[in-house]
Amino acid sequence: MTAPILQAKNVHKTYRLGRVDVPVLHDASMQVHPGEWVAILGASGSGKSTLMHLLGGLDRPDPKKGSVVYEGRDLAQMSARELDQYRASAVGFVFQSYHLLPELNVLENVLSGAMVRYGRFGYAARKSTLRSRGEGLLDAMGLAHRLGHRPVELSGGERQRVAIARSLINEPAVLLADEPTGNLDQKTGDAILDAVEKLRDRGGEDAAKQTIVMVTHSREVAKRADRLVELVDGRVRSGSEAAGVS
Amino acid sequence: MYQALLTRRYLTRRIMPLLSALAVCLSTAMVLTTWSVMGGFLQVLLDSGKTFVGDVKIHQPSRGMQHYDKLIESLEADPQVARATPVVETFGVLSLPGDVTKPIQVLGIEPESYNAVTGYYDTLHWRALEKPSKHDPDQTDPRLHPPTPENQDRADRLELTWPKILENGMNLRRIDPRTLEHVPAMVPGIEVSGHVNQRQPGGWYLPQPLVDNPVDIFDWYTMPSHPRAKITLRVLPLTDSGHAVEMASRIMPVANEFRTGNYVFDNNLTIVPLALLQDMMHMDAAERVIGRGGIEIDPQTGKERIVPPRTVVEPARVNTVLVSAAPGVAVNDLRDRVQEIYDAFAIENRMPDASVQTWEQINAGFIGAVKKEIALVLVLFTFISITAVFLVLSIFWSMVNEKTRDIGILRSLGASRAGIAWLWLRYGLVIGLVGSALGGLLSYVIVRNINPIHEWLGSAFNVVVWDPKVYYFTEIPNKVDPTTMMIVLAGGVLASALGALVPSLRAAFMDPVRALRYE
Ligand SMILES: Nc1ncnc2c1ncn2[C@@H]1O[C@H](COP(=O)(O)OP(=O)(O)OP(=O)(O)O)[C@@H](O)[C@H]1O
Ligand SMILES: [Mg+2]
Repeated sequence: MTAPILQAKNVHKTYRLGRVDVPVLHDASMQVHPGEWVAILGASGSGKSTLMHLLGGLDRPDPKKGSVVYEGRDLAQMSARELDQYRASAVGFVFQSYHLLPELNVLENVLSGAMVRYGRFGYAARKSTLRSRGEGLLDAMGLAHRLGHRPVELSGGERQRVAIARSLINEPAVLLADEPTGNLDQKTGDAILDAVEKLRDRGGEDAAKQTIVMVTHSREVAKRADRLVELVDGRVRSGSEAAGVS
Repeated sequence: MYQALLTRRYLTRRIMPLLSALAVCLSTAMVLTTWSVMGGFLQVLLDSGKTFVGDVKIHQPSRGMQHYDKLIESLEADPQVARATPVVETFGVLSLPGDVTKPIQVLGIEPESYNAVTGYYDTLHWRALEKPSKHDPDQTDPRLHPPTPENQDRADRLELTWPKILENGMNLRRIDPRTLEHVPAMVPGIEVSGHVNQRQPGGWYLPQPLVDNPVDIFDWYTMPSHPRAKITLRVLPLTDSGHAVEMASRIMPVANEFRTGNYVFDNNLTIVPLALLQDMMHMDAAERVIGRGGIEIDPQTGKERIVPPRTVVEPARVNTVLVSAAPGVAVNDLRDRVQEIYDAFAIENRMPDASVQTWEQINAGFIGAVKKEIALVLVLFTFISITAVFLVLSIFWSMVNEKTRDIGILRSLGASRAGIAWLWLRYGLVIGLVGSALGGLLSYVIVRNINPIHEWLGSAFNVVVWDPKVYYFTEIPNKVDPTTMMIVLAGGVLASALGALVPSLRAAFMDPVRALRYE
């Protein structure tokens, strides 16, 4: 078994609402191995999104109460700059409500991730490569003909495809998807997940596949994953493995 | 990179930023216009402070200065002095046709040296004009046409041609129509006559006929020949001890009129020949009785005898000498030098002290007041412009609110806090640049055309904002100083950046998770 690429170690997360502490994650641990597709399952409000934000370095666990480790490095030890770099290149986010930038067109939205990552000069130097990669991703998501459209002109399913293409533009080690099909009907959702699976399988060998952590509350969707992780009462109840990876 | 793209899109796809650019535009235009007009006003005021004063003025108001020709000689011998000229300054009363009486300041001058010191010839208004001004397409300015077109013979005889009118203005004389000889004449300011010269909006003057059946429109100049058109100057000579003696009065023709553009001079001053005013003021060279005669006892014979009154010939006096600086000499240096020369002269000739002041010192109180007034107005307008900062601030604040999710998205893509701050700051700078540039342009157009705009306001709404009686000048200054412009435009950009700063910091320090959850 390979070393985990990303893991949460006994993390706690407490929100403060006025004077009341709201504990959301309580001693939660999970591991993600390279090439794995892990589904995080749990009831609404169980802290799935919170855990994903921690894994993606968007938020930090309670101080000294657990850690998030990427390739052996504790995210808490990273400088702000390193953490920005981590979000830009190591992980890619997909959100339930798409979160596209409304002023940019489809292709620009996909490329915005690369613009942020490389900065003005780095981006200009790689522009043609990045452009063709962006177009390739959109093609794979079935949107080759909508490059110049703005998000308001797209359906929900199409928007989510754009968001997935954007999350992959910087070839992240881990794709973090928070209920990507939660706002979509089943048919559209399945089509999108099919497309994701196809993209992921391009990697070939198991360990070279795109690593995915996907939050969902649907057992149906979770079935596509290699492994299932369940969040109950802020703890991870692990084990109910779907397929036989690891 | 993403900042540039987003700034561009935010700018072109939303109305809010255009509103804040407009606010910046209006504020910069307001401040720049005010500064330009008021600054120009101060400049004209400073320049006009020199009018008829030269660089340094020696003034002895009570007894005046005897032997002033010697003083002028020693002044002009000094390398720091260009020229010096004697002047008698006094107050008088002018009786104008139509029973108009007005108090007036009277200057008695020697034209040639006075011109050398003050540039007097250039102020003479009535002279031939080659080209009409661009405000005068109909060529209504009388100086464009011969003064008396119908009767060339009369014009030649009475010297009513432009070159002669100018020459006579320079020499303060006129032809007496009865004797056809030159007599001393005065050159009043062009506003002195009040209703007689009607100032046109374009800046020239249209003389009005003074009498019922004028021979021609220039009867103003022929007034002494007309029984109903008389101009009388009265002055009050003072004795050594400051007591008034009998009022002196002269009926005089007008040779020409001067125009400095400064209403104070143009409305309140008249110029006459020095010798004439000295005569009227009893300041000419004359034999004067200085001791009373009487009867005394001869100490040797013990008999009474008659003693005649003692008399002396007193030399002519002036109360003012104006001095101009040689090229490259600073006025303050000149003032010190003139003071030295005067002191030596005063000791030698047993003269009282006189005040020696530069033209700036003479006008110090006035100039200082105007400078303060300008500073006050600028401070007020700057305060008003701070509104623009708050406008930009509130617009940006609400835009940051509206764009909270975008901020979260960008952070999730790896954008740094600094990157987010720069996005908004840059946006503010662009708005500031656009707004300031437009404001600068707007202000330039307004200031350059402020006189026509003012005229139009006057004719369309009967609004007279710039009353020359209040502001001293007949034209509103219309220059935009490049330095002033740079300062104001930079201020506009800075103000917008300041307005954008707080919202951009707020955007930078937003919690990305909360931003993403923001509905
Ligand atoms: N900023 C916050 N302040 C206070 N409480 C918060 C905050 N963010 C989340 N919570 C609380 O934390 C808990 C977990 O939220 P989270 O979004 O992680 O749940 P979830 O499992 O993703 O739910 P869902 O399936 O509905 O998306 C919720 O009870 C929520 O109210
Ligand atoms: Mg959630």
